[in-house]
Amino acid sequence: MTGLVLKDILVLRKSLRTYLLFLIFYFIMALLDLFSIAFITAFVQVIVMILPMSSFAYDEQAKWDRYAMTLPLGRRAVVGAKYIFVVLMILVAATFALLSCVALSITAAEPVEENLLSGVASLSVGLLAVELTLPLNYKLGAERARPFLFAIIFIPVILFVLAARAGWLDGLDQLSPDVVLPLLCLIPLLLLLGLPVSYLVSCRIVEQKEF
Amino acid sequence: MTNSIEIQGLNKSYPDFALRNINLTMPGGAIMGLIGENGAGKTTLMKCILNLVRRDSGTITLMGHDNIKEERLAKAEIGVVLDECFFHDTLRPKDVGAILAPAFRDSWDGALYRDYLDKFQLPQGKLIKEFSRGMKMKLSLAAALAHRPKLLLLDEATAGLDPVVRDEILDEFLSFICDEEHSILISSHITSDLEKVADYITYLHQGQIVLSDAKDTILDSYGRVGCTAAQLETIDPADLVRVRRGSFGCEALVSDRKTFHRSYPSLMVDPIALEDIMLFIGKGASA
Repeated sequence: MTGLVLKDILVLRKSLRTYLLFLIFYFIMALLDLFSIAFITAFVQVIVMILPMSSFAYDEQAKWDRYAMTLPLGRRAVVGAKYIFVVLMILVAATFALLSCVALSITAAEPVEENLLSGVASLSVGLLAVELTLPLNYKLGAERARPFLFAIIFIPVILFVLAARAGWLDGLDQLSPDVVLPLLCLIPLLLLLGLPVSYLVSCRIVEQKEF
Repeated sequence: MTNSIEIQGLNKSYPDFALRNINLTMPGGAIMGLIGENGAGKTTLMKCILNLVRRDSGTITLMGHDNIKEERLAKAEIGVVLDECFFHDTLRPKDVGAILAPAFRDSWDGALYRDYLDKFQLPQGKLIKEFSRGMKMKLSLAAALAHRPKLLLLDEATAGLDPVVRDEILDEFLSFICDEEHSILISSHITSDLEKVADYITYLHQGQIVLSDAKDTILDSYGRVGCTAAQLETIDPADLVRVRRGSFGCEALVSDRKTFHRSYPSLMVDPIALEDIMLFIGKGASA
């Protein structure tokens, strides 16, 4: 399984290097107060969502899964390796976002809560996208699953805007950050619990699949 | 000695095609050539053997292991080269080694893999996208051999390669088979390659095995009869496998040319190549 995780890292090494350079660039710009930290948190979200999609697209191009199924690993291990790769990327991205928030709140005296909130929100959207798109990628393939990624991002945004216009979210801004922050931090943790469910759904899809 | 492959009562159907009642035994220490026209079911059979598709019925054992119940054990002893290279263009041969080593655990021999890369003149640090088709197939072969498998499954592995590379790869198959525990199942359109290396030939036609025997037995016994339409009428249809009628004469495939010659001494029976047997069965009519 470690070989398959390594495969994803090696196949995407160019993209990973580019993303890392961008993150460092944004971080320096934020340190210099030229960019907002929102650039980093938004970019983290993009990375978390795009990397698995790219990985599937590359695998599909090389017809890798057919070969992977000939290895003495089993179908669940092939799926498991993809999830481990994605979780690894999420962890790296989350760590970077967290460290950036802390560093910027120390150096630039930015409110750490607000920065953390925007990081948590980005990560949550990324995690949700990953949990839903991974099984879809196995079921439909990278090309046909891509529109669903946009739907997963835009439908909650539209719902939030509509809810705000309808006045259903009035009063949220009155809540104390001491209450809101722990509650919002629970969201990515809850979403993390969804990962095993997503994995099992993917396994079921792959077990039924013919290569 | 354990049979390398045993297939019993294998059926696999698609809406427009079906593999029907495949029974096949491949002894250890042999090379079996799988021939058949496009769409005859060779790749489907390979996929069934590798459990890449769900079969409708039947059992398959590889090196004595059931290919579903003991899938990992079975696959640990198999090297696979399919009709194309499945390694990503952005990888290098040394990356492929690093990826596959954990998959095969202790049986992966990194030094042997590097030896194969050197032998096949594949630069370890070159991107796979810069490789020719021949180089990619050689890389696939190096990756398939580096865990010292006992059985090689090759699906059209020599298709589209120039004669020099094909010969090089065929030589590698022959040295692999020097170990009497090793065996190869190779599907190919290039029947001349199989005539060079195969010990057994299995011919798939429209999803069914129509011929499976030792290559020498096939080549020694099958024959081609050239005759006129009038002469053809005098032959008992039971003595003919297939017939082709043309405007300049007729020809027929016989399964036992010595017996046929004794029965019809006035008719000439020539030895026949595998390709012509394929053409007779694929394009000919029943007698």
